[in-house]
Amino acid sequence: MTLTLLRTPTRILSRPVAALAALAAAAGPVVAQPSPGEGLAVFSPVTWERLVDAANEPHNWLMYNGTLDSQRFSRLDQIDSANVGQLELKWAHHIPQLDRAETTPLVVDGVMFITESPSNVVAVDAVTGRPFWRYDHPLPDDLRLCCGRNNRGVAILGETLYMSTLDAHLVAIDGRSGSVVWNREVADYRSGYSKTEAPLIVKDQVVTGIAGGEYGIRGFLDSYDADTGERLWRTDTIPGPDHPDNRSWAGDSWRTGGAPTWITGSYDPELNLVYWGTGNPGPDWNGAVRRGDNLYSDSVLALNGDTGEMAWYFQFTPHDEHDWDAIQVPVLADIELDGETRKAMLWANRNGFYYTLDRETGEFLLGKPFAKQTWAEGLDGNGRPIRRPNTAPSQEGTLVSPMAGGATNWWSPAYSPRTNLLYVNAFDGEAIFFSRDEDYQEGDNFTGGGTETPLPIEHYHSAIRAIDPTTGDVRWEFPITPRSRAGVLATAGDLVFSASIDGYFYALDARTGAPLWHISLGGPVHAQPMTYAVNGQQYVTMTIGNTLYTFGLGD
Amino acid sequence: MGTRCGIRWTAVALLAALTSGAAPVVTVAQDTENPYISRLDVRAGRQLFQARCSTCHGLNAAGGNESTGPDLTTGRFRHADSDAGLFRVIRDGVRSTAMLGLGADADEQSIWQLVTYLRSVDVTAGGTPTGSAAAGRQLFTGTGGCDRCHMVNGQGQRLGPDLSTVGERRALAELETALVNPDAEVLPRWWTMKATGPDGQVVEGLRMDEDTFTFRIMDADQQLRAFSKYGGWTWERVQRSTMPGYADTFTAAERNDLVAYLFSLRSEP
Ligand code: HEC
Ligand code: HEC
Repeated sequence: MTLTLLRTPTRILSRPVAALAALAAAAGPVVAQPSPGEGLAVFSPVTWERLVDAANEPHNWLMYNGTLDSQRFSRLDQIDSANVGQLELKWAHHIPQLDRAETTPLVVDGVMFITESPSNVVAVDAVTGRPFWRYDHPLPDDLRLCCGRNNRGVAILGETLYMSTLDAHLVAIDGRSGSVVWNREVADYRSGYSKTEAPLIVKDQVVTGIAGGEYGIRGFLDSYDADTGERLWRTDTIPGPDHPDNRSWAGDSWRTGGAPTWITGSYDPELNLVYWGTGNPGPDWNGAVRRGDNLYSDSVLALNGDTGEMAWYFQFTPHDEHDWDAIQVPVLADIELDGETRKAMLWANRNGFYYTLDRETGEFLLGKPFAKQTWAEGLDGNGRPIRRPNTAPSQEGTLVSPMAGGATNWWSPAYSPRTNLLYVNAFDGEAIFFSRDEDYQEGDNFTGGGTETPLPIEHYHSAIRAIDPTTGDVRWEFPITPRSRAGVLATAGDLVFSASIDGYFYALDARTGAPLWHISLGGPVHAQPMTYAVNGQQYVTMTIGNTLYTFGLGD
Repeated sequence: MGTRCGIRWTAVALLAALTSGAAPVVTVAQDTENPYISRLDVRAGRQLFQARCSTCHGLNAAGGNESTGPDLTTGRFRHADSDAGLFRVIRDGVRSTAMLGLGADADEQSIWQLVTYLRSVDVTAGGTPTGSAAAGRQLFTGTGGCDRCHMVNGQGQRLGPDLSTVGERRALAELETALVNPDAEVLPRWWTMKATGPDGQVVEGLRMDEDTFTFRIMDADQQLRAFSKYGGWTWERVQRSTMPGYADTFTAAERNDLVAYLFSLRSEP
């Protein structure tokens, strides 16, 4: 509608900015943009070309993980290891609804879009944090939510934002005013579906996943026409009975097998492949009722960017009984392996293993544990785990590492092409896993057991780990006490930003892991840092507790 | 309420073990022990109870003015003297009363979880003390010198947990263990941090709190001290208890008295 009109001039508007930014990235800190403080109209529509080229306009953060390859690496380098100690608070934005704040804001030409609990979005001036508009999505009061009322962010195309909502809708919102452009039901929330993830734009489509792995849903990944909201394709993450892989589910268990898609994936424009992780099979802890590998739960799927047809899949944890969702962000990077440049995918999995895959074919290239794990002897030549006996959940309880929350979780890692390291938030935990009988009731919790952590959290070790994707070795680690639920950001200033559960925001030296700066901001952290620049000033933003804080260097 | 439930758990497990040893005479559930006794099952049992039983027995199984069913938290049942007996009552009900039971088709797991839940709300689960609380009190402030470290109702010192309401938090067996084997369970709050400064000076104290960048302790003089982990100090965690064990210091009878005193320490009389 409005979009078609607005997309055309975008190229003209955005190109000079992008070109300048590219220049600046080569020469030093990015400086070129208009200054919103002086009343200029700055928000120009975000074309698909701009999204493909997002790395070249590092003053903007145009999608959930920064760029389509999800490296969460910013070319901004004004803040670097020499001056990071001088960071100061520029502004803070308070989120009125109290729940886990899991948002990663976007910044487009000086305007920041922040999602809030439960399914709201607010547009603010990125220099001052003061609002332009807000949209509060109306919700029913009988939502089916495993893990709180939260939302992780929006996607943008043209000047329309796309947001998932807890009642399993996808909403298109006008970026200048906050008006609803269209509102589409993706699935029936009463059956246990919900939506929390930031969608991913692929060309003129909004690609988006679903949550509900604890409610016996059958997962899928959807694509919608960005203009009209019409559904273009749906790929089930559990194949139907007409497909041979359906036999990886005993009996009818595939119908309630879970495999949700609740974290944003990545896209490779050259290969035209969408990459997306899938969650645990259901019921989580009782595998006896769903014998088989349970395809394609706990996998990464590579789908054709136009049709959603599957090119390949790689299953990290066949027949998972520990709730180890492969809900991590697929990090796409070209790396040198045995003298060859490989189009790789880097993946530190919730099951405790790190994997380097070939992203053209899905071939397993290498893998090894990056955190404490006790359930597998290792990975075989195809990357399939060699399970140890007696590690399945049981009636009386089975002690296994990692814990259900995983060796890592949905927290985005970051990859720096300057250091060639993948930075991962890792946890060496353990849990006692119990298995129980449970009947499926539509819309009810369906987990088949539960877990307990035997010791207080202080007994376990947590760290930011820097993994070399060519070997899987951990190069350095920065210990965190007691643990962290935050994502990671890497920058051309050779910094790694992250946060810890007890409210520290900090910066590490990307090469050594040495702590260079930290500030205690008090609240628990469930979000990920991002960076942007306006008018030549670089900012870093992190949500801590229910407040979003933005820092920059002094004038 | 939350903590109380969690800590009670040990006692429940103990009791479940005890009762199953008492060879129940009923012929249900193959006379087996209750196989579903984890905290998870307490939770599941509570959920079931609140959905299926609370209209008559009250939300927390304690009966009440409005309810027609009896209080189920007293630790004594007229129709059952074991876990297996409870299983039978819950499945088959009590003949000619409003207590219908879940029926022969009900699944065993749910029934056992209800039994586990009922054991967890048993107010007498940990047993009652045999010693003399008055004598224990004498030992506490006298030869025991417990108040060198512990505070009770504002009297004593700060080098151990405040014991003013310890009787609510701990079962008898746990109190006995605390006396004879302090290292058995040391909460992180009572670990020791040993910090060594740039000039080799050593400062030690109880670990009041620790995070990624700092930690805070109380030293032996009960002074509060704060340290930065990256300010030139190194540090070490000692996860043992600073409380001496009293297995040899006191006779079993004296320990019983101490336990009786500790057990009497409650917010409500
Ligand atoms: C309609 C009301 C009602 C409901 C619902 C009900 N009860 Fe009862 N229950 C009673 C009454 C009344 C008695 C006392 C029977 C008697 O006269 O001894 C009783 C007795 C009991 C007893 C035996 C007490 C003893 O002293 O031996 C147990 C155990 C018990 N109920 C458990 C349950 C559980 C578990 C549930 C849910 C599955 C449940 N009840 C549901 C009314 C009810
Ligand atoms: C040197 C200091 C010290 C002395 C003396 C001492 N305690 Fe303790 N006590 C501690 C510390 C520290 C803890 C916590 C660590 C642990 O559990 O062992 C503790 C724990 C306990 C606990 C468990 C408390 C809880 O909240 O679970 C009890 C009960 C207890 N002490 C009783 C006694 C009694 C009775 C005496 C005297 C006979 C005594 N203590 C003497 C330091 C002391």
